[in-house]
Amino acid sequence: MRREIVALIAKQFWTDAFKSRATYVMIFLVSVILTYAAYSGWKNYATQSDIRTQYQEEARKSWEENPDKHPHRMAHFGSFAFRLKHPLSLFDFGMESFVGNAVFLEAHKQNTVNFSEASFSTGLLRFGEISLAMLLQVLLPLILFFLGFGSIAVERENGTLKISIAQGARWMEILVGKSLGLMKLALLFFLPVAVVILLLLLILKGTLLTTDELLRYVGTVVSYLLFFQVICFVSTLVSAFSKTSKDALVKLLALWLFFVIILPKTSQALGSYFYPSPSKIEFETILEKELIKKGDSHNPDDPYYKALKDSVLLVHKVDSVHKLPFNYSGFVMREGERTSAEIYKKHHNELLKTFQKQNNVTRFTALFNPYVAIRNASMALAGTDFGSYVNFQEQSESYRYQLAQEMNELQMELISNISPDADEEPHMISKEHWEEFPDFKHQFLSISTALQNEMWSVIALLFWSMASVILSGILSKKMKTI
Amino acid sequence: MYFLIIKQFIRSKTAVLAFVILFLMGMISILIGKQFLSKQENTIAEITRQQQEHIERNVTYHKDNLGLLLYYVRFALVNETDNLAALSVGQRDVNPSVRSVTIRNLEGQKYDTDLNNPSNLQSGNLDLGFVIIYLFPLFIIATTFNLLSEESETGTWRLIAIQSKSKLRYLLVKLSIRALLLYSVLIMLFLAATVTLSLHLNEKLFAFIALSIVYLTFWFALCFWIVSFQRSSSFNVLTLLSLWVALALLLPASVNNFVTNRYPVPEALETMIKQRDGYHEKWDLPREATMNKFFAHYPQFEKYASSAPGFNWLWYYAMQQMGDDESAEYSRSMREKIMQREQTSRLISLAIPTMHTQLLFNDVARTSLSNHMRFLDKTDEFHERTRLYFYPKIFQNEPVENENWDEFKPEYISERSDFNWLNGLSPLALITLIILFLTILNTRRI
Repeated sequence: MRREIVALIAKQFWTDAFKSRATYVMIFLVSVILTYAAYSGWKNYATQSDIRTQYQEEARKSWEENPDKHPHRMAHFGSFAFRLKHPLSLFDFGMESFVGNAVFLEAHKQNTVNFSEASFSTGLLRFGEISLAMLLQVLLPLILFFLGFGSIAVERENGTLKISIAQGARWMEILVGKSLGLMKLALLFFLPVAVVILLLLLILKGTLLTTDELLRYVGTVVSYLLFFQVICFVSTLVSAFSKTSKDALVKLLALWLFFVIILPKTSQALGSYFYPSPSKIEFETILEKELIKKGDSHNPDDPYYKALKDSVLLVHKVDSVHKLPFNYSGFVMREGERTSAEIYKKHHNELLKTFQKQNNVTRFTALFNPYVAIRNASMALAGTDFGSYVNFQEQSESYRYQLAQEMNELQMELISNISPDADEEPHMISKEHWEEFPDFKHQFLSISTALQNEMWSVIALLFWSMASVILSGILSKKMKTI
Repeated sequence: MYFLIIKQFIRSKTAVLAFVILFLMGMISILIGKQFLSKQENTIAEITRQQQEHIERNVTYHKDNLGLLLYYVRFALVNETDNLAALSVGQRDVNPSVRSVTIRNLEGQKYDTDLNNPSNLQSGNLDLGFVIIYLFPLFIIATTFNLLSEESETGTWRLIAIQSKSKLRYLLVKLSIRALLLYSVLIMLFLAATVTLSLHLNEKLFAFIALSIVYLTFWFALCFWIVSFQRSSSFNVLTLLSLWVALALLLPASVNNFVTNRYPVPEALETMIKQRDGYHEKWDLPREATMNKFFAHYPQFEKYASSAPGFNWLWYYAMQQMGDDESAEYSRSMREKIMQREQTSRLISLAIPTMHTQLLFNDVARTSLSNHMRFLDKTDEFHERTRLYFYPKIFQNEPVENENWDEFKPEYISERSDFNWLNGLSPLALITLIILFLTILNTRRI
């Protein structure tokens, strides 16, 4: 392959593209919509982050303002966890709008994460959202197909292909040259977007990016470059294999519809069809049943808690719980919290496994569908994927557990075993304990964990990127000029 | 001539393939709808069984303390699912159709979501509504974009020009064959859906079908309009697909971003914090303050006031009530915000057939956001009724066994559907007529 020939063909493709008025119209329209997406992503990030930080602070203030009281009151007073938006979510909304934003954390009970955008949404959210990532994944391939469908087929139609070959251009040079020319057009759209994201990130944060953020940013840019490379090669190959440019266009549009619109939606739907997940009521019933089987702390005659009491009395060699060196009901609640949290965790993990199975059907298609590969990789890098959300849920549950147990410990340690009479002051402990317990802080996954969750997609992208070049090499030997 | 044109059409591999894919997707969507319905039915069966068991168990544990018993007992309200919901799941996947609430403060219980896989929500339901709104138009585009251009590109157009009386009539016959086939697929899918999902043959089903037909007519009109410019096949397919991308992807998604950014709902988070603080801080305040507020809200309970120190249930439920009372203002403005979103979306959707049809499908199937908001309003009423029923009994310390607990079965509400024939069909019909008018201007030149 001769470099200067490839460069010449690429340059010719670029010049030809700008001879058509349609190209300018397309560039204009795409720029408008990209600008809107950038604005919208930035605005949404800024508004939502402000709101969530504000309420996390408000909730904390209200927690710390509690006067002296019984620690179990505080366990019920509870706390809130607000899910933070990852800065890169301004680029890729991913699942942001479909997952809850706030959860109430209290003793004995794992609440659902509520108030997702989807729950406030009219039916329109089902049409999707405009984000820079969505435009790059869905719209830009279509635009590249529009610009590239004729790359070789048109030359075949008007006979210039024969001339090029006769003059000594090799097929591989033509394929690579045309693909690179198209890639240059892709970069015309993508590079400004990449720069804008970086600028927005810097402006929003007001400081330099952390290493993790920088790596995520670079990872995102590289992934999209690989994706566009695949799209450009596919477009050129289809054009090379089509008799007429109309054929090439129809084939490329069919490919786009199938791989971008129909396949991902169908595979996700089939995933949830074949691995049905329980409704909340069913889930809670199972939990409740298992909890009762294990021991019901609300049942005064429960054998599990009776046995527990006997063994505690035996170990401490006393005959009544009032003589124990710690608060007994705090002890029972600590035991109850531990068992209920374990049971919850077990079943919640099963639920997540079911969700994973549902998702794996689509995830598997990434191997032959570069669109799914880039979609999943991009979401993971932007902290808006399934794994990031599950991680938030785990963080909030583990904070809830610590909060409940800390209050139980305080009760065991500091509250008397003898209940006060009706006319006496209730037992309480100092409010200093509330301030001592740290606030919830949502931590983002590190890039390595995030990428591990979507390993398949990353591998698929790399594979496709190499395969598209190798395939061009193999197919270039079978090309027909007419 | 009809016969030959049909034969010509069926010979095309693309057309047959497109038909098969469309029909297959339609059938898959009906099966998915069936699974959705059976999940709903299971949930309702489960909640009925669970409520009975749950009440029985708690009644035995707390048989001498009505106040404590009602701390635990939950009562369910079910928003009935129309079988039509299987055709357009709408917001029913995010927003659960069952609320199970205790008589304690409602704001803390009202907004719990169902357990959902966010990937499924993001991908959206593959229901028949989706197939009609997204895929049918693609099929229309695929079969009509070269209605005229294929004739001129293969050289047959001149023959037709010489041989047939009216070229326009020839084109219309070609178009009508495609339309006929497409509407038959549509009707076949509706028949399959009616049988599989045991749909009732009522006005709502016909409204759903009528909407689909008018919506698809809009697409035929649009395609024929583009065809009537007599440009090349490539130009037509490019233009039509771009229109599809704009109408089905970009415009609705942009409107959605606009609405989300224009009306953020911080009130939701405010309500969540206020309802907690409203209740919890009362433990640390003088009892009289809470009781006065409570009696101001419900003067009828003032007669139960007691001056005995220590805990009593009247005070407890008065504190709980404060959670609702003190967050009421925020809850109301959250509701207003959400309704603003709904109204803005509806207004814009009048001009965009895809969005309009989607919202109307949800209206007919009772799966819209408005339907959910009314369910929440009914939950308010249901909760208020239940707590006012129990309050006096708790405050008088009535014995638990005086109540016939078997009577507390889940209650159902059946909301009307919002569909209105005139308002529903006229925007679509109007847009279609405008396009037809433009087409007629063009066809004079054919």
